[in-house]
Amino acid sequence: MGRVTRSQHTDLPSTLGLPLALVLVLVLAGLAFGLPLVDEAVPAQRAIPDGAAYEVGAGVTLVPPPGATLDVTGTRPAEDRGTVLFRIGPVRYAVAVQPFDGDLTAAAVRLRQRITGTSGYQVTGTQLAVSTAGGLAGLQGGYTAGNRGGRYAVFVAHGLTIEVTVSGGDPDLARTLPAIDASTRTLRYEDR
Amino acid sequence: MGEPVRPGGVRAAALVRNPAFWVVIALLVAGAVRIAQITWRFFEMYPIATLTAAGLFALLAVPFWLFVSELDFLEREPPSLRVVAFAWGGLVATTVSIPASTALDNLIAKLGSPGFAADWGAALAGPTVEEIAKTLGVVAIVLIARAQVNSVLDGVVYGALVGLGFQIVEDVVFAIGAVALAGQGDQIQPVITTFLVRGFLAGVWSHTLFGALAGAGIGYLVVNPDRTRRHRIGMAALALFGAWASHVLWNSPLFRDGLGNGALALLAVLVFKGLPPLLLILYLVRRAHDREAAYYVAKLATLRDPTLITENELKVLGSGSRRAAARRHAAAQAGRRARATVRRLQRAQARLAVDLSRSEGMADTVSKVREHRARLEELGHPEAVEGTPSVWHTVSAVGTTAVAIAVVWVALSALGGG
Repeated sequence: MGRVTRSQHTDLPSTLGLPLALVLVLVLAGLAFGLPLVDEAVPAQRAIPDGAAYEVGAGVTLVPPPGATLDVTGTRPAEDRGTVLFRIGPVRYAVAVQPFDGDLTAAAVRLRQRITGTSGYQVTGTQLAVSTAGGLAGLQGGYTAGNRGGRYAVFVAHGLTIEVTVSGGDPDLARTLPAIDASTRTLRYEDR
Repeated sequence: MGEPVRPGGVRAAALVRNPAFWVVIALLVAGAVRIAQITWRFFEMYPIATLTAAGLFALLAVPFWLFVSELDFLEREPPSLRVVAFAWGGLVATTVSIPASTALDNLIAKLGSPGFAADWGAALAGPTVEEIAKTLGVVAIVLIARAQVNSVLDGVVYGALVGLGFQIVEDVVFAIGAVALAGQGDQIQPVITTFLVRGFLAGVWSHTLFGALAGAGIGYLVVNPDRTRRHRIGMAALALFGAWASHVLWNSPLFRDGLGNGALALLAVLVFKGLPPLLLILYLVRRAHDREAAYYVAKLATLRDPTLITENELKVLGSGSRRAAARRHAAAQAGRRARATVRRLQRAQARLAVDLSRSEGMADTVSKVREHRARLEELGHPEAVEGTPSVWHTVSAVGTTAVAIAVVWVALSALGGG
């Protein structure tokens, strides 16, 4: 030992520094930019049957608005929580269910803080009381972000918080909000 | 397997003449800009929580860094390369992993189903992207300082440091994510909870460990030129697969349901999902360490000069616990100065072993060893050897273990609701 032989000197990867470094850059670029490009190329939206109840998670269901599609990138159902993302044209309609041990006021404060914690987002107007056909009581309000508007609603039931957020351009929102409001009113909790 | 060590060193001047070095520096700068942007956004929204998270997780890095340094006692890696490895994990691997993991998780939902992604998305997407991005950090070290990676243990050290850098930055991101999710403003409670869960309970079997395994594979690939290229690439791939599989097991939904929510359930998850990879990887790291230590101790044994290293010191130098025992013995026999001198002597002896392996000029190192030996003799403790284990040390070790178990149990009970 002690002497480094010629075969060792010409062994990989010692003599291929720059080409291998460029391969390394290519692999990193493939991960950082290539995978997101492939992701964008694969469609995320799935058709859902009109009028059928959709389970968000943890026993919470709702009937999506007519013509809505399911965006699988924002949908993650689970036993004790869940999220679902619907798209009605350019409008996003998201529902998130998670364990929560506070009351409705605390849940609303939490959701408003999260909305205003995002750069450029502001809550507008006052909150209104809302309820669903299944008897869930909640609070509803609005927010803006640049040229986009939004609506939020929050419900608390059976140790869960159900957060609804809707966002889109003002004309699109005006057109779709009645159907979305009707869908939100179908929110229901079923003990399993 | 041939010799466990393939001697070599690297000089700074050679480093800057290497084009690959500048490619790696450019990647580090790009990663630093991206992570600085993310951190600044966090800081604007949650300044106290961000500073707390950065401070807590920086502290968490200290014991890991010290452990890796002790592992690396005999043939120490240059601080500059250790910093590059750490920075790769914290800046480059994280920057790449954030968009790539999200994209892969989305693809799992698109090609599988949202339910499958909810269960297995985090288990498959994160490890797949992150283990590749981290392992490339060890490859980067090889490209810029090939001669510095001269044992499997060196691969372990660089891999662990890449993993440590990744772990610290990821933990800070998770902590601020928890603050945002809590929706209670700039609070530190979610940071503390994240620190307990990700840093304290899950920290041991996390990226540092997985990185060490993948790094061992790169080390093996580089230091075994007598093996066929196919064999070495196969072994490196196997190590990367092992790191990936350990990570997948840890992130998987297995044992998530059915064990309840108490402290015992949390302990069971830690034991079943974390312990097997932990023990396997620690065993492999121990083997790599012992092989390297045996190589350098054998080099020193050829000197047959007790003024440089005695027979008893040869038995001590190859083991971290024995080196520590020798320092404790020196402190007990001749005070704190003797302890510090024993440490300096051990470092000089290790440096001498490396010089011997590289056939480099040893005059400076030899005079340093003799200088420390003379100092020890002045202090009345001429030989850096272990003493008989004291009752106090045994009691202290048992007490520390008991306190550690109690702290873990309290944390498990608090987090598991038991």
